[in-house]
Amino acid sequence: MNTYFIIEYFVKNGVPLDTVVLILMLPIIATLIAFFRQVFGVKAFGIYTPSIITFAFLAIGHNSRWNGVKYGTTIFIGVIFVGMVTRFILKKFRLLYLPRLAITLSIVALSILLMLVLGGTLHRTGLASVSIFPLLIMITIVEKFVAAQIEKGTRTAVILALETLFISLFGYFVASWDVLIKIILNYPWIILLTFPLNFILGKWTGLRVVEYWRFKEILKRN
Amino acid sequence: MNVLYNYWKNRHKVLGMNSRNLTYVRPHNLKKAIRIADNKLMSKKILRKGGLPIPKLIARIKKHEELENFDWDKLPYSFALKPNRGLGGEGILVVYGKKKGLSNTWIKADGSLVNVEDIKAHIRNILDGNYSLSNVPDVAFFEERLKLLKLFKPYAFKGIPDIRVIVYNKVPVMAMLRLPTKESKGKANLQQNGIGVGIDLATGVTTTAVQGKKSQIIEILPGTRLSLSGIKIPFWREILELAVKAQIVSGLGFLGADIAIDRENGPVFLELNARAGLSIQVANLSGLKERLQRVEGLKIKTIKRGVNVGMDLFGGEIEEELEEISGKKVIGVKEKIKIKGRNKKEKEVMAKIDTGAYTSSIDEQLARELGFSKTLDAFYAIGKKYEDLKHLDKKERWKIYEKVPYLTATVIVHSSHGTSYRPIIKVRFVMDKRIVTAKMTVIDRSHLKYPIIIGRRNLGRFLVDVNKN
Repeated sequence: MNTYFIIEYFVKNGVPLDTVVLILMLPIIATLIAFFRQVFGVKAFGIYTPSIITFAFLAIGHNSRWNGVKYGTTIFIGVIFVGMVTRFILKKFRLLYLPRLAITLSIVALSILLMLVLGGTLHRTGLASVSIFPLLIMITIVEKFVAAQIEKGTRTAVILALETLFISLFGYFVASWDVLIKIILNYPWIILLTFPLNFILGKWTGLRVVEYWRFKEILKRN
Repeated sequence: MNVLYNYWKNRHKVLGMNSRNLTYVRPHNLKKAIRIADNKLMSKKILRKGGLPIPKLIARIKKHEELENFDWDKLPYSFALKPNRGLGGEGILVVYGKKKGLSNTWIKADGSLVNVEDIKAHIRNILDGNYSLSNVPDVAFFEERLKLLKLFKPYAFKGIPDIRVIVYNKVPVMAMLRLPTKESKGKANLQQNGIGVGIDLATGVTTTAVQGKKSQIIEILPGTRLSLSGIKIPFWREILELAVKAQIVSGLGFLGADIAIDRENGPVFLELNARAGLSIQVANLSGLKERLQRVEGLKIKTIKRGVNVGMDLFGGEIEEELEEISGKKVIGVKEKIKIKGRNKKEKEVMAKIDTGAYTSSIDEQLARELGFSKTLDAFYAIGKKYEDLKHLDKKERWKIYEKVPYLTATVIVHSSHGTSYRPIIKVRFVMDKRIVTAKMTVIDRSHLKYPIIIGRRNLGRFLVDVNKN
């Protein structure tokens, strides 16, 4: 592969090529998330959650790109769904926040385990062979979900979760795009372009795309 | 295509999230001021010091030990229990009275009962931070319950409506009445499906209404036939003054002030908001950015002045609507008019609008300035008295005055000086952008405040609002 000399230097010194690619991808994913928030108004759970889930998807889809989408989405929705149901069950007991969250986390973890076993019996070996780190990442996002549920209500929390899923999937497709990977390896300095781009986003005061919809009654007036 | 053009044209009038945060909240609401706004007890203290009326604090509980040692007998019949750093009206418990026959049991809005154990559990949740931002440990406090104003009774579901006023640069720029609904569980919060009703700043009368997070426009209160527009909010000026005062006291340059009206104490200041929501724009069908830009940089010295500016700049929506429906212009009891003289001269004078008079009249001196000197001189030259003419009929009389230039008619005027014949001239003037041709009696009004009276005869295309100017 025709790689830029810096990359070659990294690899020669023992940094795996995959790691280099993933780390260089991070600024692009983060910028993408910022862009979605400021320009489109897609909120998601901040910037950490969608980017870490993007990486979880990348890890799940390591061998086949389609697996990342299929199993990643399945696990994500499973986690959110179980987390939501658990909250409704636990609500009656009036438990304090952290113990309640610990129970939720445990139930989610057990459910995921069950899901993997189920996948195994249905000969979905791809699901069962998902490595542990992406799984842990997915399981812990239930905390974000529960926090959003308490602060903003279930409806908003579900919307935020779906937005997170959407952005993560989008990020996953971008980050696993061969053309982009090649470009980054050949011209790694292009990731520096994310700085001026984020400066512009950081000073952007225009209406977000969703706000054109929200304020349509005012905007369409003469 | 036209609609698309409007979207494009109007996009700078509306305040979006990005602009709110970057242009208004960030530079105008300093961290210190935001910290006060996010802390209800601290806000209370600062507002009280600043002389603003606030709901009385009954007690506060900071720690679990304090909760165990709390004297429940000292709680009154009704109160509101709140988390100090609560978000969006979450975690508030309101009781309306004590249940007779049971010790320390209170009644909630929906009729259900709460005892000390229930309240304790609720307070524990508050102390653990279950209702606060990012779940930091919190303080719980009891405050007096506000009593619902009779006027609002049919509109509010188990709660107190409040008025949100956005203040910027000491000028109230937009306001909204927030009504608690069944869906919002008695909370006056749009995020929780409450209703927001836009308010005309000049008059304090409600305009359009929206419900819920999605800001759905509604005309009537759901489940009733009550129209949500046209509610006149009492103490309107006082409310706006309170909002401006709160801005000065709190140091929040871009403030969302929440004010309620108590049945006994009148306007009471509820809450400071450092990050005011944007739905108020939909309730008012008007963009906030445009308004904020209009008051930017104005030098406002006093609270009264700020309120006046807000009322003048951002009122009158109702009037415009009325004008649209009736096709008539709404004018006040005094109006500036522009008169075109015979000599092509234009004069601007204040006219008194008098629906008690039939015809309009004009001061003699003014008539002369407008080029009617010849008319008047010729009229006086004839020099006939009332007694000389009273036996004549109209035609015969007109024969005498026929030759006077630009005279339209004559009329009998009874005044303190006795009865006389006065000349009538035709004058064209512009009032509130409408051209009116009026026959006016010329009389001496030099000792009166207004040189012109406009009577009913020339007011056909206007509506008179006695409260205007």
